Amino acid sequence: MLEIVGLTVAYGPVIALQDVSMSIPHGSITAVLGANGAGKTTLVRTISGLVRPRTGSVRLDHTEISRLAPEEIARLGIAHVPEGRGVLAELTVEENLRLGGLWRKDPTDRRRALAEAYELFAPLAGRRHLPASTLSGGERQMLSIARALVARPRVLLLDEPSLGLAGRVLGQIMARIKHLVRERGLTVLLIEQNARSALSIADEAVVLSLGRVAAADRARRLAGEEGLRHAYLGF
Amino acid sequence: MGRFVVLTLNGLTEGAIYAAMALALVMIWRATRVVNFAQGAMAMFTTYLALFALERGAPYWAAFIVALLCGLLLGAVVERVLVRPVESAPPLNVVILTLGVLLVLEALAPMLFGGQIRSFPAAFSIVGMRVGSLAIPFSPFDLFTLGSVLGLMVILLLLFQKTDLGLRMRAAAFNAEVSRLLGIRVGRMLTLGWALASMVGALAGVLIAPSLLLYPTYMDQVLVFGFTGAILGGLDSPPGAVVGGLAIGFALSYVGGYFGSDLETVGALVILVAVLMIRPRGLFAWQSQRQV
Repeated sequence: MLEIVGLTVAYGPVIALQDVSMSIPHGSITAVLGANGAGKTTLVRTISGLVRPRTGSVRLDHTEISRLAPEEIARLGIAHVPEGRGVLAELTVEENLRLGGLWRKDPTDRRRALAEAYELFAPLAGRRHLPASTLSGGERQMLSIARALVARPRVLLLDEPSLGLAGRVLGQIMARIKHLVRERGLTVLLIEQNARSALSIADEAVVLSLGRVAAADRARRLAGEEGLRHAYLGF
Repeated sequence: MGRFVVLTLNGLTEGAIYAAMALALVMIWRATRVVNFAQGAMAMFTTYLALFALERGAPYWAAFIVALLCGLLLGAVVERVLVRPVESAPPLNVVILTLGVLLVLEALAPMLFGGQIRSFPAAFSIVGMRVGSLAIPFSPFDLFTLGSVLGLMVILLLLFQKTDLGLRMRAAAFNAEVSRLLGIRVGRMLTLGWALASMVGALAGVLIAPSLLLYPTYMDQVLVFGFTGAILGGLDSPPGAVVGGLAIGFALSYVGGYFGSDLETVGALVILVAVLMIRPRGLFAWQSQRQV
């Protein structure tokens, strides 16, 4: 379980998150919704250690992680798929994928994870030895997600995975992620602009507005609250 | 014709040294986006340490290893102790810092080892070889110089291209933030990058010392020529650095041989200016998409 308690994050004088608390239960998908600038990306960057909180804590299974370096947090099994440019364009597709699991000790399992990634993301298999710079935007996004899964994470932080992906491809990827959630107890934090599609796959949802938690509930129930939808989610 | 062959062979050996220097500069540039102006002085210092070992009775090969290991260590220490704290400062600060390291090492060397010009031994004969009755202006030590530079480059190539460690190092150099999200300990990778680069420089220092003689500023010129080679190849490309360094070796040898050795430095300057005007990102720039 990932727990966020009283998190306040500021960039200089600008408060990005204020007193944000939420708990993301084990083996579920939690969507974080909100307009541009609501603090969604700051939230995931703080969880993965790229941003230091001013106050508050982030706990993974009751262990405080908010003071750890990003590389140590990654090694605890928290994989962060950053928004947009997460792919190392100078390296080949295969090198990118291998990097995902390099910190893990077991080489046979690393190979198996790689093979699974190619199976799931078939377009990548044919290009494994090409530089990632030759991929289209959607393929890069695919590579970024595949690379995170190669690490066999306990927690997956997805920042705008729909960016540049065709709806059908996104559907396949999300179906696979849902499968991992059900079968292996993967915990997912999903950041989305597109609230409607996020609510349709998430179990829980949190709405951020101007750095604060505006609402938090079961995804299905949030989707049914008309006033909230109009005020924050735009549909 | 005979003269041309002599100059070409001479250029090949010197080019190998400049290629090593250029490669060292490029490795550090790629890892930390810093032109390490202390590269030459660091190599000078490690060569003095090798001489120190020789004078205490160590055999040549032990001194050779001392130079390389000290290079490794010096690079790591400079990165960890000096460069790391100013990592997030404006790039100019780090450049000034490497100039500071250059000055300190060049001031420290005469204090520790004496300022006079010293000779440094070569591993093999520096007299040209003979094939039958034909004298070739290429000595066994030239061959060793070429071979050891080539050997180290092949080892580095294998390390970077074929091992997980090399993959981590490349990733850390290309994008530190994404690498950290993938669990790569970027700090360690950068330290290791500096260490390896400094070792390549140390090799150049030991190899060129027999012909240049050893004094505190003897590597300054080698640094300038190596830097020219690195710019020629494009600062971001290791193969470019090697080709650029070799090209500088040939060019300077021809300039020196046909127009007089006083003009060698001017020749390097002309090449540098020409490259910056015509292909400012280097001859190998197509290999990288990255803006400098």
